[in-house]
Amino acid sequence: MKTVSMFIPCTVDLFLPDIGEATYQLLKRLGVNPVYHEEQTCCGQPAINAGYIKQAKEVAKHFIEVFGEDGAIVSPSGSCVCTVKFHYPELLCDEPAWLARAEDLAGRTYELSQYIVDVLGVSDLGAFYTGKIAYHESCHILRGLGVSEQPKKLITNVKGADFVAMKFSEICCGFGGEFANNYPDISEAMVKEKCENYIQSGADLLLLCEPGCLLNIGGYLSRNHPDKKVMHLAQFLNDAIPFRGKEN
Amino acid sequence: MEIRTEQFVEIAKKELKNARNKQFLSVLPLAITISRPRSMQSFPDPEAANEYGRAVRAEAVAGMPELLEEFEKNALANGAKIVWAKTAEEANAFVLNLAKERGIQYVTKGKSMITEEMGLNDVLQESGIEPFESDLGEFIAQQLHKPPFHIVGPALNIPVEEISDLFIAKADMKEPTTDPVKLGYAARLYLRDKFHHLAMGITGVNMAVAETGSIINVENEGNIRMNKSSPKIQVSIMSLEKVVPTMADAMHMIRLLCRNCTGQKLSAYISIDSGPKKSDEVDGPEELYIIILDNGRSEIYQDIQAREALRCIRCGACLAACPVYCKIGGYPYGWAYSGPMGQVLNPLLLGLEKTQDLYHACTLCGACKSICPAGIDHPKMFLYYRVQEANSDKKAAGGFITNKTAKFFDLWRWGTTRAWRWKMAVKTARPFVNRYAKDGTINKTIKPVEGWFRTRNLPAMARKTFHERWAEINKKVTSDQ
Ligand code: SF4
Repeated sequence: MKTVSMFIPCTVDLFLPDIGEATYQLLKRLGVNPVYHEEQTCCGQPAINAGYIKQAKEVAKHFIEVFGEDGAIVSPSGSCVCTVKFHYPELLCDEPAWLARAEDLAGRTYELSQYIVDVLGVSDLGAFYTGKIAYHESCHILRGLGVSEQPKKLITNVKGADFVAMKFSEICCGFGGEFANNYPDISEAMVKEKCENYIQSGADLLLLCEPGCLLNIGGYLSRNHPDKKVMHLAQFLNDAIPFRGKEN
Repeated sequence: MEIRTEQFVEIAKKELKNARNKQFLSVLPLAITISRPRSMQSFPDPEAANEYGRAVRAEAVAGMPELLEEFEKNALANGAKIVWAKTAEEANAFVLNLAKERGIQYVTKGKSMITEEMGLNDVLQESGIEPFESDLGEFIAQQLHKPPFHIVGPALNIPVEEISDLFIAKADMKEPTTDPVKLGYAARLYLRDKFHHLAMGITGVNMAVAETGSIINVENEGNIRMNKSSPKIQVSIMSLEKVVPTMADAMHMIRLLCRNCTGQKLSAYISIDSGPKKSDEVDGPEELYIIILDNGRSEIYQDIQAREALRCIRCGACLAACPVYCKIGGYPYGWAYSGPMGQVLNPLLLGLEKTQDLYHACTLCGACKSICPAGIDHPKMFLYYRVQEANSDKKAAGGFITNKTAKFFDLWRWGTTRAWRWKMAVKTARPFVNRYAKDGTINKTIKPVEGWFRTRNLPAMARKTFHERWAEINKKVTSDQ
């Protein structure tokens, strides 16, 4: 059985562990063996974004030590995957031995929907759902990783689901980590528009593949439109696949 | 031009409430999602055309010193006069002295970002020389004493009624109208008269071609051409990075510029000047001055990473692509250059201390980078500035970066490099973070992240983190086997 190493980002670990569990279940149902290194923590993205690269470097090295030998590393967060794939080699560019390890790791790290569709070659998970679904194209997944068709394939293959277009689905929701807190007025205007476009799309469920966007959009909906649902794709799919017994 | 980059948050707050701007800005993203792709499709291979453009800009910037020398040599041979100016003050003083020397009462100007950067209008005005902006949008912005709202359309946001009133008061228009053609005509009549008796016209430069010593201007209104062909003296001002190696390079960049700027294949007017009027020619200025302005760029050039900023061709595409710009418009950026290109350029030209908000007010969404025809990686530039800021945190006054932030990240590093420390930190933080949690949700402000809670809730910190859940999953898996 193929073994894959789960990289569960800190936001999921601390605030959204259901997504982590859904990732685990999904991978298992796809016939791979998901493992989780308990030594993992955070990929270092907050420090990189704040300019504290000295600290980020050490965190990157910790990450590389933890995941260094794995054949495939899969994460339910595109931005964290971008950190590993693109920022680690930049951070470690003046330490050749580490750089080589970082570059090597970069090639083996995948976003979850990308891994399912591109590597496992599965685009229909046999899931069922009745309702209209919209999809938010998270910045780092779309522009960072170039991943867009993969999650949409997984969604359109859900039986009974009606995939609806959402206006400006590819425009940022206004999260941006520190940005959401430091520029609340601008961030609010952005997330408000995102939610309005979601509501206008007529969908009753918004799916996405990025925990950061989920905290932002979900946090705004929970405060302002509590009847509107937003979910991580992994969790949605895991819930929408009928239970076939002998799973844990 | 007054520098207001430090008032970013304040001005942004105000602009967010401006209903009129909002309406205009809400359709701006369509320029990127619809018109730009449509115009790029007219290239046989749009991605190749982009790549070619990016390579031209990278190469031109890398070879800038040599290219400028070549340009100077060829422009001199064409009969132009070359003036090197180290600073904006030097360039302003040159223009002012020249105007005074020739007894000039007023000048007309083609729209140019570089003269905004220099603050040339103020300098001329203070000495009693009236500068008339001849680009319609720039003319409106000038009369209203407003900075450019957008680098390409400086008055895009001004309501037509306001323009009508303005033209009655300032441009000899007789009756109010909201008809854009009539408004354009009124401005034209007013400015034509200025062109008629013009002694000195001032323009910027879109591209300077090293191999031929020519300067090129791209426009849609024809006013720049008037500025260059009506007067005896033409003064064209360029910053160092306008130079490109060959005419073929310039032509390709113009194709990209027009498509990215206005979605046109070609703008209505493109004028190329290779020297002043020759003895056997009937038209053109008798004297052509080309001012090559440094204003900090040769220093930027020394820094290989920062140098990337010099690739910008001022197409303005990144403004429409930017979700932040599309909420707040151009004023909060506080200077000549706005949107992502301003966020990249202003910190280098004005210093990191004065422009902290510019390189922080970004979600790093990468929309700008994905469309930039000059190949600028804006988010990477912002991170570069943030690194420099973090390294100099002891000196920085106020802003986000304080010693507290540095201490936080030291502590965070400690907690993040060992899982046992991570878990311990989680256990300590959880009751504190969750003290207001109700039904798994926190909707009461927690300091120091009050910004987050202004409009959003946060899920409570998990009763069991994934780490803790994994321990259970693992136990189950092992016992099942
Ligand atoms: S940074 Fe790029 S997209 Fe923005 S104005 Fe300059 S060339 Fe155009």
